[in-house]
Amino acid sequence: MAEYTLLIILFAPFAGALALIFVSNRQLSLVRGIAAGSAFVSLIASIYLFYSYDPLKGGFQFIQRIEWSRQLGISLHLGVDGIGTPLVLASSILLFAGIFVSWHIKDRIKEFYIWILILAAATIGVFMSLDLFFLYFFYEMSVIPMYLLLGMWGSHTKKYLEMTDPEGLKQRDSVGFIFNFGANSKEYAAMKLVLFLSAFAVVALMGILLIYKFSGLNTFDILVLREQAHFSGPLATVIWLLIFFGFASIAPIWPLHSWSPVGHAAAPAATSMLHAGVLMKLGHFSIIRVAFELLPETTREFMPIAAVLCIFSIIYGGLVAYYAKDTKYVIGYSSSSHMGYVFLGMAALDYISLSGAVIYMFAHAMATGMLFAMAGWVYDQTHTRDIPSLGGLSNRMPFISAAFVIACMASIGMPGTVNFIAEVMIIVGSWNKYPFQVVVAVLGIVLTMAYLFKMMRGLFYGSMAEKYSHSHDAVTVIDRLPLLIMITVSISFGIFPGHLYSVVRSGVDPLIARITKVVPIAEHPMNSPHGASPAVPLATSREAIVKVTPR
Amino acid sequence: MTFSLTLSASDLLLLLPELFLTAWLCVVLIVDFSFKRIVQEQVAYLTVLGLTITLACLAWFDITGITGTLFGKMFVLDRLAIFFKVMILLATILVVLLSIDYVHRFSFFRGEYYFLVAMSALGMMFMVSANDLLSLFVTLEFATFGFYVLVSYLRDDMASNEAGLKFFILGVFAAGLLAYGISLVFGETGKLVFSEMSGAAPTTGLVIGFLLIFAALGFKIGAVPFHSWIPDTYQGAPTPVTAFLSIAPKVAAFAILLRLFLVALATFKPAWALLIVAASILSMTYGNIVAISQRNIKRLLAYSGIAQIGNVLIGLAAGTKMGTDSILFYLLTYLFANLGAFAVIMAISNAVGSDEIEDYSGLNRRSPFLAFAMLLFLLSLAGVPPLAGFIGKLYIFVAAIKEGLYTLITVGLINIVISMYYYLIVVKRMYISEPLDSSPIKTTGPLRAVIYVGLAGTLVIGIYPQPFLDWAVAATLMFSNFVAPSASIIPPPVTPFGG
Repeated sequence: MAEYTLLIILFAPFAGALALIFVSNRQLSLVRGIAAGSAFVSLIASIYLFYSYDPLKGGFQFIQRIEWSRQLGISLHLGVDGIGTPLVLASSILLFAGIFVSWHIKDRIKEFYIWILILAAATIGVFMSLDLFFLYFFYEMSVIPMYLLLGMWGSHTKKYLEMTDPEGLKQRDSVGFIFNFGANSKEYAAMKLVLFLSAFAVVALMGILLIYKFSGLNTFDILVLREQAHFSGPLATVIWLLIFFGFASIAPIWPLHSWSPVGHAAAPAATSMLHAGVLMKLGHFSIIRVAFELLPETTREFMPIAAVLCIFSIIYGGLVAYYAKDTKYVIGYSSSSHMGYVFLGMAALDYISLSGAVIYMFAHAMATGMLFAMAGWVYDQTHTRDIPSLGGLSNRMPFISAAFVIACMASIGMPGTVNFIAEVMIIVGSWNKYPFQVVVAVLGIVLTMAYLFKMMRGLFYGSMAEKYSHSHDAVTVIDRLPLLIMITVSISFGIFPGHLYSVVRSGVDPLIARITKVVPIAEHPMNSPHGASPAVPLATSREAIVKVTPR
Repeated sequence: MTFSLTLSASDLLLLLPELFLTAWLCVVLIVDFSFKRIVQEQVAYLTVLGLTITLACLAWFDITGITGTLFGKMFVLDRLAIFFKVMILLATILVVLLSIDYVHRFSFFRGEYYFLVAMSALGMMFMVSANDLLSLFVTLEFATFGFYVLVSYLRDDMASNEAGLKFFILGVFAAGLLAYGISLVFGETGKLVFSEMSGAAPTTGLVIGFLLIFAALGFKIGAVPFHSWIPDTYQGAPTPVTAFLSIAPKVAAFAILLRLFLVALATFKPAWALLIVAASILSMTYGNIVAISQRNIKRLLAYSGIAQIGNVLIGLAAGTKMGTDSILFYLLTYLFANLGAFAVIMAISNAVGSDEIEDYSGLNRRSPFLAFAMLLFLLSLAGVPPLAGFIGKLYIFVAAIKEGLYTLITVGLINIVISMYYYLIVVKRMYISEPLDSSPIKTTGPLRAVIYVGLAGTLVIGIYPQPFLDWAVAATLMFSNFVAPSASIIPPPVTPFGG
């Protein structure tokens, strides 16, 4: 049974979606039951996966290989390493939480659950694909459900895109402005998202096809390509750039980000959660899986690009989030700003910083998931996302406001949440290589505090308008469950990060060893118990230091 | 040149599917004439029965591996021909089922409609077996005659008449080009059979001859710059005929193109590859860009069809064994998605009486099944996983990248994104817009059957393509002898065909 864990995680949501097709929309409890049940199966299996992944053994575990096409050299090759495992867990947690967040949807709930299950399953599929074809297959498969989720259950972004600063000057999202043309409808947001993602997906596909041709191995299998294919010179550069920018657009790196906040703003709560929580991580993950694994030398040479662009992501995203007035827009831009930290962690190509980046992806999934869930709750109760017109909601919704504070703290990276560990690791790990960026990143944290506190104050404190006096708190178990799950995960991993850290480290170590070509890993200063570890409290955990024999 | 016209029993076996279908068609016609009480549905099912028996016969040929040539190599039955015949018969069966509801709109000659559809199918079955220039001309015209009548079958409808006239004039023009091309090629080489031509010395006459033949076949597949008849004809023709026209003649013409380019002209590949690359880039780009502004779903699919043909031409430009495999596979995926989409169009047109995309508003609320089916068919045409069209496109790209056709692939990939836009516009109408009229749409049995077949094909090929890939690969084994030209026969690049 254990060896089928990945297949269960991947196909439980698909099976749920398939079953839902044959259920009528009128059987409401059955629809919800099937959706929640299949997400639950997937969640349990991924918790099992996370805790039974053996970090001491490292490498790819739970491998499944099913021959799919001989002519093209494709097989459904699934397996997770220390990087994929926490992301699979994050996806299934967010899916499960998302099912409950969208429990009260009235319109076509069956279709909603079908598409959200397919979206989550496709995302999970990317995190466990060891075949370039299937990586792309699942990646592209996650795009269309987004279109329908945004279009059918989303909300118009109306005037929210026109942000004004305190002096009344219009601030435009510069790149967004080029593509905006003043269109603020959800259809526009959905179409923009799909076209952006498809356009950059085909860029990545070109890279994949070039890998396929020039490896000459007639296979898409990442493990085989990693062992046997070698790319160098201009060819490697071209492939690397195609792969990097193809996948970085979904991350979203500045200046390819403009589809993302608009998409967040238009999307229903559960979709925003999955979008910000895991869909954006597909970009980082695919870069790690394809570019880092297959083109280590080129990665070393070109990763500084990410180090430059990440500054813009962090500062630009933070500034726009500060001036934005729409709750979802704030959170959306904060997400794209925070993804800059992940890029910084990746760019430093260091054991600590890359581990930090992976943990940050996990941590951010929880924090931003909570924020979007609660932004969705507030919107459902008040029918507005306009921060200036809201206020004082903490009287009406004490639970939500308390949870919102926790979520903001997590998002800022307060000690005690897993975000803190991730942020510290990124900052410490990349200090040697990119001190300037680290200074910017720390300033970015201050900026994060500024806009999150501003939003928190605007929503929950101050005086409340009379028309919101009928808004409700989350009182039932169903409504509180998703938030409680995410808060629990965020805090418990913040206090006990040992297993998470060692799992991530077992995935990061061989990768960085390959890229930096440092042979004796155990003697690496970062890796010795007395090296960099004092600055990183969790690294002192004995089991965390995994000895990996580099290839 | 001597023709051996003595036929033995084993020779007749090779012709069995065609002979049987001919006899069956006569029976259908006689039944239709003799029994005054017979309704068109019964004629339709009788036709479907005959086509299905023929299909079964071909499946038996494919399994037992019966192949051979007839009439001094004019007629060839190889696995390639069998593959194409199966596709044509499949398309015809689905089209006949599609037509049942529509035929009520014809005021008379309802029974003959099915006869004409099946007769065109018969012509195309001969066409994919054509192995020399004479049989090419005869079978191609035979296959087209039925369509001339079918396109203008709505006798009192101006659009249908216009469509018929345009199709007829351009079709006859293409026939003229074909005849002229054939005469030039025959004059230069003295040969008619494709495989015997392969070593011919390149002369100007030969080049012009082949260009003319390519132009004539370009009309059939609707590649740019021979596409001009397509949009009006598609829009004006009765919808089931449009559906038929959008797949069967293209499939049949591709059989000829494969035999012509990869057998007769295998040695001149570097020269004609450029021609195909140009046609492919133009077709994809033109088709997709013009499709964006369409307001009528039949026109949209007409332009998308032009673009799809551009995609298929990528496989031909690759010109390898894998390229031909990918063409066969792609056409198979295109068949299911396209006929499925037309089935949905028929269902909506029967209920709403219009083919405007605007009338698809809120389809998801009016008929979730139709909307979902249309969504999958359009996404398969766009090439979104896990649907068949994605595998088809990827297979073609892989075949092309192995030949280093980077420009072509780049254009193809960009076009995927462009096509995504207009397919999603339809999806937006169906799923996001609110319905103008919220009465539910009913689907009749035969249409539903076609949609189910289309969905099954689109999903099964997309999720488990291996058997279909194997089938396509087995069908093109004959090309492994012809492709891979040795370097010595490649003509110098400046005047590729010499003087």
